[in-house]
Amino acid sequence: MNPALAAIAAVTIAGAVLAVSARDVQATLLGLMVVLLGAPLIADPWPDPLSILVRIAAALLAVRLIAIGLRGGLATGGTRIGWPAEALLAGAAAVIGYGSHGLGAAAFGPAVAQATGFALIVLAAAPLVAGRDALRISVGALLLLVAASSIRGGLDPTPGQAEQLVGSILTIAIGGAIAVITLAARAAGGLDAIDEGGRDALPRRVPDAHRPPDRPERPVRPTGPRQTQAGPKCAPAGAPRAVESGGGPSRAKRRPVRPPEDGS
Amino acid sequence: MTVVPFLIIAAVSGTASLLARGNRGWSTGFAVFGLALMVGASASIGSSAAIRIGGATLAASEWLRLYALLGSVVGLLLVAVDVSAMHEPDVPGIVVLGLGAAVLALALSDPRIAVVAATAGGLAGVLVAAPLGAAARAASVGVRELRALAIAGGLAIVATAWIARPLGGLVAQPAVFGLAYLAFAIAVAIRFGAIPFHIWAARVADAAPGVALPLLMAWGPAAFAAIALVWIDQTVAPLALPLGNERAIVASIGAVSVVLGIVAAWIQDDLEHVVGYTIAADAGFVVLALAGFDPAVWEPSRIWLLVFVVGRSAFAAWAVAIHGGFGTRRVPELTGWARRAPLLGLALVIIAAAAVGWPGLIAWQARSAIAHLALPEAVALAVTAAPIASIAIYARLLWVGIRPAGSAVGAGRGERPGWPIPWPRRPIVGVGAVERLLERAAHLVGGLLDQLWALPAAARLNRVLLASIAVLTLSGLAFAVAVGGLGVPQAARAVPAVGEPGPQAGPSTLPSASSPVGPSESPGFTFQPVDPGSSAPGGS
Repeated sequence: MNPALAAIAAVTIAGAVLAVSARDVQATLLGLMVVLLGAPLIADPWPDPLSILVRIAAALLAVRLIAIGLRGGLATGGTRIGWPAEALLAGAAAVIGYGSHGLGAAAFGPAVAQATGFALIVLAAAPLVAGRDALRISVGALLLLVAASSIRGGLDPTPGQAEQLVGSILTIAIGGAIAVITLAARAAGGLDAIDEGGRDALPRRVPDAHRPPDRPERPVRPTGPRQTQAGPKCAPAGAPRAVESGGGPSRAKRRPVRPPEDGS
Repeated sequence: MTVVPFLIIAAVSGTASLLARGNRGWSTGFAVFGLALMVGASASIGSSAAIRIGGATLAASEWLRLYALLGSVVGLLLVAVDVSAMHEPDVPGIVVLGLGAAVLALALSDPRIAVVAATAGGLAGVLVAAPLGAAARAASVGVRELRALAIAGGLAIVATAWIARPLGGLVAQPAVFGLAYLAFAIAVAIRFGAIPFHIWAARVADAAPGVALPLLMAWGPAAFAAIALVWIDQTVAPLALPLGNERAIVASIGAVSVVLGIVAAWIQDDLEHVVGYTIAADAGFVVLALAGFDPAVWEPSRIWLLVFVVGRSAFAAWAVAIHGGFGTRRVPELTGWARRAPLLGLALVIIAAAAVGWPGLIAWQARSAIAHLALPEAVALAVTAAPIASIAIYARLLWVGIRPAGSAVGAGRGERPGWPIPWPRRPIVGVGAVERLLERAAHLVGGLLDQLWALPAAARLNRVLLASIAVLTLSGLAFAVAVGGLGVPQAARAVPAVGEPGPQAGPSTLPSASSPVGPSESPGFTFQPVDPGSSAPGGS
């Protein structure tokens, strides 16, 4: 095993762990940059200098594009299991990838490239499947594509100049796509705009409509000035709708009194 | 001529169009100029022209030339419809760049590079699926599209890389080939939004500009599917491996997509959803083609790809023209549209005829051949006849159109031609005959100039009429392709001189994977670069 390649692979995987674990978007960006810069270099023999320069330029441009969409104080969801667990998962996947080098046949690329690819796939899985904010899912998508390219690098000979150029175009394209998505999400109010239009955005049943019948029937809570005159139980004027319709403390208090058929 | 000029024009004009996005007129102008040049460049592509760049071969073929030519013409007409009806931002530039990326992917003879190019081209569509300043759910739509593209691209990259080596020593060879084949086929299904992978596509159909739908859901994925067809034809099918289960899964996805896509399109009330689900239904035949491990699937699959992309583009353009003219996409609110837009009514009839077809039509025969090669006889008959049910979709739209006009249609613009009110005639005030003659001549010239200055206003006044003419032209193009005009069968049948291997004559003479052969007798395909001067299949 080439120690230099192993070191680059370790740094790349560490960058991916940082990208999927960090809540600070600047740290996420740093992780993505490390991944995009390191992954193309895990090759034996190394790409020619021109190809390396093109890949570096593409990686920096992609990260720059993503950074445009992430200006200001933003935070992503980060990982729910913590970075040590993510790192252990990635390490385990890397061992599997290293051990299964070639996927059943003689390979032309370095084993650490395949190990890196496996590790990145594992790290990308959770954001892709369970990510709730636009940046986190986008990071998963980027890591998945880099992982596929790394596995390709582990199975086949080092890509030629044309393949490096097309790979660079892909890197820039995904950076631009992430920038567009994050800008659109921020324009909509935050990175968690993934929930807009989803199941959570469907009109929820008003809790009052599901009170037990032994209580006096109350009309659906009106909106507007009457809220301020209805007593202390009503939300104050101008309160956000999310507090009324669920997710807030008032909803949690009402849950036990729902009838069993509501499933709550 | 090679495809390089086409690619350069697409890259330059598409980038210029996006850079000038702040000025919508200039942005559209760059794209239209680029598309016009691309029409000429694609017409001059030689069917055997090839060039090696950076270790990869960019090879043209008769089918690629027709794809690029039709794509450029359709793109030009789509932009015309967009400008006349909606004038969405960024769409013209994305159409140019997406088309360029699709042609690049088709020209690359190495599938490992081609799938990367096709994935990069698909990512450009995110710009119109999640436009800045759009509704809050745009980001959600964009990120769903990005996720689908990444998964499809990742599957395809790994699949093509996995078996791009001699695998003679592999004990589980059929399983490896089966998994790689299944991964690439599912990647194609995801890219098309075929049922059951249609959720992201349905969201995109809802949020993306209607005129961009053909590019996002048809032209780009069609290039991806063409790469898959070549790859399967070259590396998987010739080995005659027992991949019955994998083929059954892929064929099931295709058949289900055909049938349920038509049903879903029939029950939708939103025109863009109708367009989206008809695309999913037609894409089902492309997925079916991936399950037909037979050289005979080569020609019908390539015919159907062209029929499909041009036909669905015409339908999407029709929906955009209707939306632009009457301000709504809801079918129940469009009662009486055909009364106020008879050209669009005629275009819909032509689109329906091209989409449904009849036995003997090139498009019908292609669908039938694909279904019979991929499915058991009884199921193939049902799937072949399924598009007849889509008559109900078009009949519903026409029935709504011929009813008395509703409020939305009444308030919308019709196709009735108009002209801006001219300047009032100026009185002749000259006294002498010569003076009056000169004055009349001056008035004549002034009147002509007035008419010229009125042309932009006249174009704005007749936007629906102009859009209808563009849609009618597009529907005529779709019909021409569906009946086998423009040399479609010849282009689909032709075996490329360079790059693509063409249909295999039969089961490969290469040893079966299960045969007791040594590592040195492994399948003899490699992905070494192809000599442009050679016509022997061997490269990808």
